[in-house]
Amino acid sequence: MTTATPHIDTNPSPRGASRLFTGTITATMPIMGDSSLITFTAPQNLVAQARPGQFVSILCRGEGAYDPLLRRPISIYRADAEAGELTILVRPFGRGSSWLVAQPDGASLDVLGPLGNQFEVSPRSGNLLMVAGGVGAAPLLMLAEEAVQKGLSVTYLMGSATEAGLLPAAAFRGEIEYVVATDDGSRGHHGFVTDLIPEYLQWADQVFTCGPTPMFHSLRNVVLKHRMGKKPPVQLSVERTMACALGACLGCVVETKRGMVTSCVDGPVFDMDEVVWS
Amino acid sequence: MSEHATPQDAFVPDLSVDLAPRNPRELVLKNPVIPASGCFGYGTEYGSFVDVERLGAFVSKGITPHPRSGNAMPRIAETPAGMLNAIGLQNPGLRGFIRKYPPIWERWDVPAIVNVSAESIEDFAHMARELDEVPGIAALEINISCPNINAGGFCFGWDADMSAEVTRAVRQATTLPVIVKLSPGALDIVSIAQAVEGAGADAVSLINTLVGMQIDVRRRWPVLANLTGGLSGPAVKPVAVRMVYQVAAAVNIPVIGLGGIATLGDALEFFMAGASAIEVGTAIFTDPTVLTRLVDDLAEWMSANGVPSLRELVGVANDRFTHPQGVPAADAFDLMVELGE
Repeated sequence: MTTATPHIDTNPSPRGASRLFTGTITATMPIMGDSSLITFTAPQNLVAQARPGQFVSILCRGEGAYDPLLRRPISIYRADAEAGELTILVRPFGRGSSWLVAQPDGASLDVLGPLGNQFEVSPRSGNLLMVAGGVGAAPLLMLAEEAVQKGLSVTYLMGSATEAGLLPAAAFRGEIEYVVATDDGSRGHHGFVTDLIPEYLQWADQVFTCGPTPMFHSLRNVVLKHRMGKKPPVQLSVERTMACALGACLGCVVETKRGMVTSCVDGPVFDMDEVVWS
Repeated sequence: MSEHATPQDAFVPDLSVDLAPRNPRELVLKNPVIPASGCFGYGTEYGSFVDVERLGAFVSKGITPHPRSGNAMPRIAETPAGMLNAIGLQNPGLRGFIRKYPPIWERWDVPAIVNVSAESIEDFAHMARELDEVPGIAALEINISCPNINAGGFCFGWDADMSAEVTRAVRQATTLPVIVKLSPGALDIVSIAQAVEGAGADAVSLINTLVGMQIDVRRRWPVLANLTGGLSGPAVKPVAVRMVYQVAAAVNIPVIGLGGIATLGDALEFFMAGASAIEVGTAIFTDPTVLTRLVDDLAEWMSANGVPSLRELVGVANDRFTHPQGVPAADAFDLMVELGE
């Protein structure tokens, strides 16, 4: 009484063949003050599939330990398919991320990914505006580098409390206009990064943003005040506490005009005008 | 299709279990490992990590009579060796569910158990009736213990009479095997188990999550939008093992044990306490491959330790387990008093 294997194709949210692997840390580099760029090995086919905006979910504890319990979702900063390596940008904000940045080169990581949807660049777009805050800089860097490689124009705005928290200009590969703002005026515009947005809105065909929630609210207010109609559209990558990262637990939802959807499978990238803002 | 010993290989252990021996529609599993409700979606989400047909069965996310959008965010919070969740039963509702998932499950060679939640006895009965003849559904798990739904401030599963009433209503509405999922919040979980057994339950599963809270000290407010949530993960395991031990000694229907199971050692504790099968929940989130590994590890352990059949393992740590008629609730309850002083 044997039957065929399950028709997973009828799965309403298929997420590709096994994306669970063990990576080995090959390099760790301090960046943005207290943060680290961590590079680790990954199967080449998975690296080749990684798209800007996607994330990996990493177990941040040793074998046999139960604390911290849950995996940590972390955006992909760079994907090098030839070398078979992924790089992530980690700020030691909590117990999981602190464990991660303390791992030495050669250490093994239990990784699930790449996961989630991606930033979508319209084929009609020529000019892209990025607005980054904190570790939100990571997915936008990958997006910016891909875009300039294809000949698009990119302006990358980044805000931080102080100069130390900014991405160094040397981090970018390619012709990217990089404009910064600091709360204390130690570098670039003295104020919020969102103050810089209005002068680029006429120029930009699309806006992409990733950063803390207060920045999203400020960005949205600025955009709604200055743009014409719904142009340019804004895509934002949200950060949520996650448990499964595969769309099963429904712990990481975002309220959209389509209802409650998961940020791990339906996101983390959402159209600003689709999100229900409270 | 059940595995059996052959002379050449004297030892292919029998992992099969019948979770509804009193029910003609039966619920025979090829092994005792079951993903728990809410932790495995509708069986499709983990398709690329788990061959569902290798599982004993699976339990769907909780279904309610009407669609629910669930609680506000945040819905989850990490705790020491555990997590709190207050998802709020986000689901497409009975109609949407029946349209979408059982047609997929029907093609799978694995029993699908539907977890059912409702806020009234009539709704429980209505759902059981609607699901009774749906192809692709093997059994119902009745959630009398979801701690996140407030209906007049009570929980069915904390009261033996109400628990029995829900079970009786469901029993009369369907011939499907009925598993009643018990709440650890009940003052005396043994009396609840006996009440639902008397009302016609084919099996019980325990424990559901424990109600907990975490405060964000910077915001000076609870982390979860719902304020409270259900605690799960390794942190709750000893509580679950103790309750399975007590309940298994006091009822004559199969007990499905769950609560913090992540390793073979955890699973063995539950079997030895008296569980005939186990559900695995939170551990799936951190290791999507844990389910099939548990099946393999269990078979290997049984071979290595000379246990030909899982049935021989069930309740071996439980000296009251062999009592033919079960023991009175008060006796089983003594255990807690003795241990807890």
